[in-house]
Amino acid sequence: MFNFYLLVGIIFISFIFFIIGYNEAKNIKKINNIKLHSLSHYYGIFVLLASLLPSLGMYFIFTIGDDLLFASLIQNYVPIEVVKSEDYNFTIILAQIKNSVEGLIFGIPDQWVTDAAEVWKSWVYQSQIITSISCVFTAIISGFFGYKKINHKFRSRNAVENIVMSILAVSSVIAILTTVAIIFSVVFESIRFFALIPYDEFLFGTVWNPQFEGAERAGSGQEGLSQYGAIPLFAGTFLISIIALCVSVPIGLFSAIYLSEYATSKERAFFKPLLEILAGIPTVVYGFFAALTVAPFLRSSGSVLGLDVASESALAAGLVMGIMIIPFISSLSDDVINAVPQSLRDAGYGLGSTKNETVIKIVLPAALPGVVASIILAVSRAVGETMIVVMAAGLAANLTANPLEAVTTVTSQIVTILVGDQEFESAKTLSAFALALTLIIITLGMNFYALHIVKKYREQYE
Amino acid sequence: MVNIKDDFKDLDLTVGDVFSKDARLKARNVNVFYGINKAINNVTIDIGNKEVISFIGPSGCGKSTFLRCFNRMNDTIDSCRIEGKITLEDENIYDDKIDVVPLRARIGMVFQKPNPFPKSIYDNVAYGPRIHGLSENKEHLDNIVEESLKRAGLWEEVNDRLLSPGTGLSGGQQQRLCIARAIAVSPEVILMDEPCSALDPIATAKIEELIHELGNEYSIVIVTHSMQQAARVSKRTAYFHLGKLIEVGKTKEIFTRPRHNQTEAYISGKIG
Repeated sequence: MFNFYLLVGIIFISFIFFIIGYNEAKNIKKINNIKLHSLSHYYGIFVLLASLLPSLGMYFIFTIGDDLLFASLIQNYVPIEVVKSEDYNFTIILAQIKNSVEGLIFGIPDQWVTDAAEVWKSWVYQSQIITSISCVFTAIISGFFGYKKINHKFRSRNAVENIVMSILAVSSVIAILTTVAIIFSVVFESIRFFALIPYDEFLFGTVWNPQFEGAERAGSGQEGLSQYGAIPLFAGTFLISIIALCVSVPIGLFSAIYLSEYATSKERAFFKPLLEILAGIPTVVYGFFAALTVAPFLRSSGSVLGLDVASESALAAGLVMGIMIIPFISSLSDDVINAVPQSLRDAGYGLGSTKNETVIKIVLPAALPGVVASIILAVSRAVGETMIVVMAAGLAANLTANPLEAVTTVTSQIVTILVGDQEFESAKTLSAFALALTLIIITLGMNFYALHIVKKYREQYE
Repeated sequence: MVNIKDDFKDLDLTVGDVFSKDARLKARNVNVFYGINKAINNVTIDIGNKEVISFIGPSGCGKSTFLRCFNRMNDTIDSCRIEGKITLEDENIYDDKIDVVPLRARIGMVFQKPNPFPKSIYDNVAYGPRIHGLSENKEHLDNIVEESLKRAGLWEEVNDRLLSPGTGLSGGQQQRLCIARAIAVSPEVILMDEPCSALDPIATAKIEELIHELGNEYSIVIVTHSMQQAARVSKRTAYFHLGKLIEVGKTKEIFTRPRHNQTEAYISGKIG
């Protein structure tokens, strides 16, 4: 709660500076009867930002920094015998102390933990005082410097422009850095996995059978109860994606053609949002639709035809996933088909083409790069889709091309590995990161390729 | 031949000679509506055989709209409705029995902006003959393409790169490619909707020369903003104003001795 009050306080101070700056600008104008470079409110905003941004920076440095500082200082309060004991893990100790600070006490804690927590609490109290004083001080000082800058020559409009630009730039850098951080965390965990399991076994092995560390290589002389061959998983992903594409590409593309070329504007206004609702349905809903409706239906209709359909089959998951990605294809394709210039259609009609000929011979070839890109984006969506396959495709890592059997996918394996309590050092848990890394590389590659296609052909056709 | 004086109603609006002895296209009392707006008001005119006629008039006067009536391009606009009668070789093109697809093969069109297909030069020209099945074999198709490109005056410039994309040509070359594409299906009439408005003066001069030559074989209707262009390429000129056909006559007479005061005002630069 303290942090919230401090933030409100800082914002309040900077708002006062806005009023001061605004009035100062007005005064200069009135008293000296001269024209200022910028409008009065720009001077106000400038002073506001001058006061707000440095103190916000100060605030974040303190709140992030004090935690790290305390964590390193608290080590001195851990008794030496605890440090020397065999299962010493500072992360756990730190968590214990922090829980104690927060009032989350399990059982009867050791005396030294309670003591350390008391010390920590006193530090927090001191740091709150220091933080508030320095933040308020910074806000006032820097606001004052901003205020001193106001005169009729000062280009506050341009200054505000520059500050706004930097704020925008910082936001986009944060977005990019987050992505990079995610990738790095996956990469580091994967490196740990590949230290345990050779990468060629992972990439080219055909049996996926992860076991817990305890069961693994447990003196029985058996080499590797666990097997981490990812091929069945990627094959399953591939099979389901292919089925999904067989559903979604024709339906999506044809509905895009209908919407953009044949539908009247009224029909279009009605159908397009309706189709896009499909994209808004939570995937978990698709998942139980697949598991509870489609899969039993396939099973019963399979038995009529004399086919043995597993109750969890690649076909059920693929069909439903296909329906899920229809809007990706139809919406994007509709956009690119609409972007084909009307003049090309006119040329086609002017030469005596029917509508169908114009669509097939002129519009679609011109829109093809965009259509292909939309399909690739849909594929990368399908490859990364989790909920449907977890619920409908099964967990058996079969290496099969038969869509009627149960298969498993990369994403559903990641889910099953990481759900529940896991031992973090085991190869089984780490394998999730290796799978995730491979998946990221595949989808990133496909997205890059899609963008590349769009770019390449756009230049050629316009 | 039908008595051309019998099949029209009042002509009080138009001055000059709307009729032609050797008419290929005849428009009679044509009205065009966009929704409730009347874009073309009671226009009657003949387009002669192997005649180049230009439609001039200020922006928004309906000359392009009227041009698009001849190959029923206005059909592609939902809100557009047409009344009256237009005949090609004495056959009403707005008759229910008429199939618009072969009609458009008989009446070709060249548009304001060059709009080659994003295909090779060869495929651009071969497009029409292919969809209408005009060629018996590959050799015949090659001949049609070559002949069309020659007639459009483009063969010399592109014969060594027929398979490169048509969109890679310059603006003027693209427009001549579009003309070659239009004449590849051997139309009887070619409609041109401001074909030079997006081109530089040199490319314009080439197209105008081409129109002049093609006028010996085809009926050409050209909509233009440039009075000089109308004077250079056409034998007859029709002046439109606010959806009405004001005056039709020999180009020379229209530009030297306009009979209607609105025509005179436009020619002398007072309106438009």
